[in-house]
Amino acid sequence: MSQYRIVGQSVKKLDAVDKVLGKAQFAADIHFDGMLYAKVFRSNVPHGILRSLDVSKAEAMPGVVVILTGKDVPGSNSTGMIVKDEPVLVKDNGKIRKIGDPLALVAAETEVLAEKALELIEADIELLPPVFDPVAAMTDSSPKLYADGNILAVRKIRKGDTGVVFRQCAVVVEQEYRTQMVEHGYIEPEAGVAKLDGDVVNIWVSTQNTHFDAKEVARNLEVGLDKVRVIQAATGGGFGGKLDISVQVHLGLLAMKTRRPVKLVYSRTESIINSSKRHPCTIKMKTGTDNNGKLLAMECTIIGDTGAYASYGPGTLTRTAVHATGPYEIPHVTIDAHTVYTNNPTAGAMRGFGVPQVAFAHETQMDILAEKLGISPLEIRLLNALRPGAVTATGAELKQSVGIVPTLEKTEAAAKPIINSQCTHVTSQKKRGVGMASMWYGIGNTGLPNPSGAYVNLLDDGTALILTGCADIGQGSDTTLAQIVAEEFGIDMADIRVVSADTGITPDAGASSASRQTYISGNAVRLATQEAKKVLIEMAAVMLGVAPGDVVVGHKELCVRADSDQSQFLADCLSECRLDLGLSPKGKGQSVSLVDCIAQCRIKGKLTLGHGWFNPDTTGLDPETGQGIPYATYAFATQIAEVDVDTESGEIEVIRIVAAHDVGQAINPINIEGQIEGGCTMGLGYALTEEIQVSEGKILTKNLATYLMPTALDIPEMYPLIVEEPEQTGPFGAKGVGEPTLIPTAAAIANAVYNAIGVRFTELPITPEKVLARLHERQNA
Amino acid sequence: MCKWGVALSRKSISFTLNGEKTEIEVEPTLLLVDMLRNRLGLTGTKIGCGEGDCGACTVLLDGKTVNSCLILAMQVEGHEVLTVEGLGTYDKLHPLQSAFIAEGAVQCGFCTPGMLLSAKSLLDENPQPTRQQIAKHISGNLCRCTGYAKIINAIEKVANS
Repeated sequence: MSQYRIVGQSVKKLDAVDKVLGKAQFAADIHFDGMLYAKVFRSNVPHGILRSLDVSKAEAMPGVVVILTGKDVPGSNSTGMIVKDEPVLVKDNGKIRKIGDPLALVAAETEVLAEKALELIEADIELLPPVFDPVAAMTDSSPKLYADGNILAVRKIRKGDTGVVFRQCAVVVEQEYRTQMVEHGYIEPEAGVAKLDGDVVNIWVSTQNTHFDAKEVARNLEVGLDKVRVIQAATGGGFGGKLDISVQVHLGLLAMKTRRPVKLVYSRTESIINSSKRHPCTIKMKTGTDNNGKLLAMECTIIGDTGAYASYGPGTLTRTAVHATGPYEIPHVTIDAHTVYTNNPTAGAMRGFGVPQVAFAHETQMDILAEKLGISPLEIRLLNALRPGAVTATGAELKQSVGIVPTLEKTEAAAKPIINSQCTHVTSQKKRGVGMASMWYGIGNTGLPNPSGAYVNLLDDGTALILTGCADIGQGSDTTLAQIVAEEFGIDMADIRVVSADTGITPDAGASSASRQTYISGNAVRLATQEAKKVLIEMAAVMLGVAPGDVVVGHKELCVRADSDQSQFLADCLSECRLDLGLSPKGKGQSVSLVDCIAQCRIKGKLTLGHGWFNPDTTGLDPETGQGIPYATYAFATQIAEVDVDTESGEIEVIRIVAAHDVGQAINPINIEGQIEGGCTMGLGYALTEEIQVSEGKILTKNLATYLMPTALDIPEMYPLIVEEPEQTGPFGAKGVGEPTLIPTAAAIANAVYNAIGVRFTELPITPEKVLARLHERQNA
Repeated sequence: MCKWGVALSRKSISFTLNGEKTEIEVEPTLLLVDMLRNRLGLTGTKIGCGEGDCGACTVLLDGKTVNSCLILAMQVEGHEVLTVEGLGTYDKLHPLQSAFIAEGAVQCGFCTPGMLLSAKSLLDENPQPTRQQIAKHISGNLCRCTGYAKIINAIEKVANS
């Protein structure tokens, strides 16, 4: 039972009614009269120099309104999340670094005509030798994508002395792991519409960060940021893939050029080819313990293929490095994480942001170590789990809200009665197994400022308007933020309207990424509410004749605190003040209604308007040692998976997943369960079926018939469990949950597969072909 | 002019759309989903892939689910089409719509219209499906947000009510 009135309640999502009625307006649903349709002409080679483009035939085609090429970009002609290395349109004699690089834009009267015009554009491209293997790309003899070479970043973490300590370890496990490239797979492909309004370019778009988008558009259009308004349309999922620029700048350019509304909607294949992907990683990990299983040392080298452009690559690999120990205290750590350019598709942010890859490695290591030590997977985790006072690999001391142990205990307790209890159908052909995996995840950007701002306006009738830049991409942030404000003001959900992610109206709240919005924007809206509330409380104190410190907010009223020592002197003052305010000398005594209090504020010329911003307390990481405080708080989780492995077909069926997540304080439990179930399902795909197959830089799995995401028939019984270890700096104690839900799933499934058939997989996905090959290998050995 | 540059004659078709007689002139190459979204302004039906893989464009044709991206507008001549716009209204939500909201089955909402129509066709032909039957029936509708559990819960809730 929550100690709060609205925080902790599974209130309905604010956008759910529009969405079930089909009324929610996604970008592709927007229509304007006189609207043009855009298409992008793209490179079909992975590496080259664009010598020239012949657009004359396409330009001459009836119905084609304009064709833009690199020379038509007035501004910087570059975008990028961290490094501005992606061309908006490759210029003549400019470099092509991947299949899909944009070379020209077409705007035509219909979508069909725009598509037809693409076929008439001819590109003269001088081919350059490509590089697709990140290890080869790191060598001096490799073809170079950039003048500075292909190694974009190396994140080092150094703590203690692993060289010496490994010699003292009783048990050491060393293993190489490989994880595959995967696709976000949001069901809505990228889409947007642009329309000029005077000298302002309005862009409605499917996005996770309108304020970033606006900056990229302004820089490339060479107009002031005040002349660009990016408005988030209803967004059909993001998972990190809608952080990068897709249609935004192209739309801005075409709207400016034609002065007509323009729409650009990606096809599914265009989306798969051009959106960023999860980094494929090679991870070499060496982990050592003492005789009892206490972790002493870890060495880890990670190579992440970020493809042709940086996107969020260096941030992702930094996070991979910081999280490589898992949620365990290890006194001696050496980690190197390399972000490497190749001519493969670009990899960037995807739910988990580099941590699912390394969780697969550290959680497999834990199980191998436990087996060698003769202790259980639970025992080795409990023995090493982070606890308050523990020091992480970056030298940060965790002081509070360290919920890994409770997630281990809760998962184990919940799993015991249900797991392995219904094995009747298991035959000699089908083997059942159980596996466990844990994770930790820092909330917010790694060692970087990432503030969020908000305005809250308490209106005359006691309803409130929240203005926040936070993009709700389906995860429910509008609802979560409204709950925080409703709780703080003592009003109902029906009394709140949230206006979010519109750069013309709302303050910057940063990206809906890094599981940061509940914690960071939650704090921002709470601070804004508190600023407005201060005015109310001061007025209520006058009206009630008590000190402001003795006023508390109740449900649509302000009350004298139960334990206040309201003196006769104050009671006398009360009568006097009330007379001054034109009220009868006898007040209600113990409370004043919210609307009366607001009315009194207005009479006195006071607005109940607040602003707030919050930036998590972090420090940068030292470039040589990685030491620092990367995050203000962490989420923790443990999942247990139960699988059946068919030894004839090689198929793996996941039967159950029990998942306990420490969220600090649940703001909306049903939405958190939805995150957990959705994350576990995405993690199941990562473990078993999903892989973006790339050959010579070309994506082979370019539609949803060949890229296999879980369907309703593939899901296990899921048991989402919420653990609440309140975070002192969080809004009502809340942290975050979106990304953690997927992080341990693949590792738990891989450990369960080992438990079932005794085969250890160190490469994802674990396909039936791989299972059969390994079983045959063992049979023949 | 159609996609292949060959002029094909437009034809007037008549069908029942969300309970109302509708007449519209269409060209032979026009897809049902494009007619609904672009000609009739019914944008509740979504396009997630355009290839019949994701189910976001699911509508009911004579009560059966079809991917509206895979059939031509002309094929609905004389038939009944139900889209999400015909399922319920702000004042009177369909029980499935209410259940989807209450059970937390809606996240980004892009798969939701198609998912609701698949659910309706199932309950119309089998009012008491098992969870396995529900899962099988909606297995052509991809959802990337929810992990399907709460969608199945919502459909089961309506079946049991």
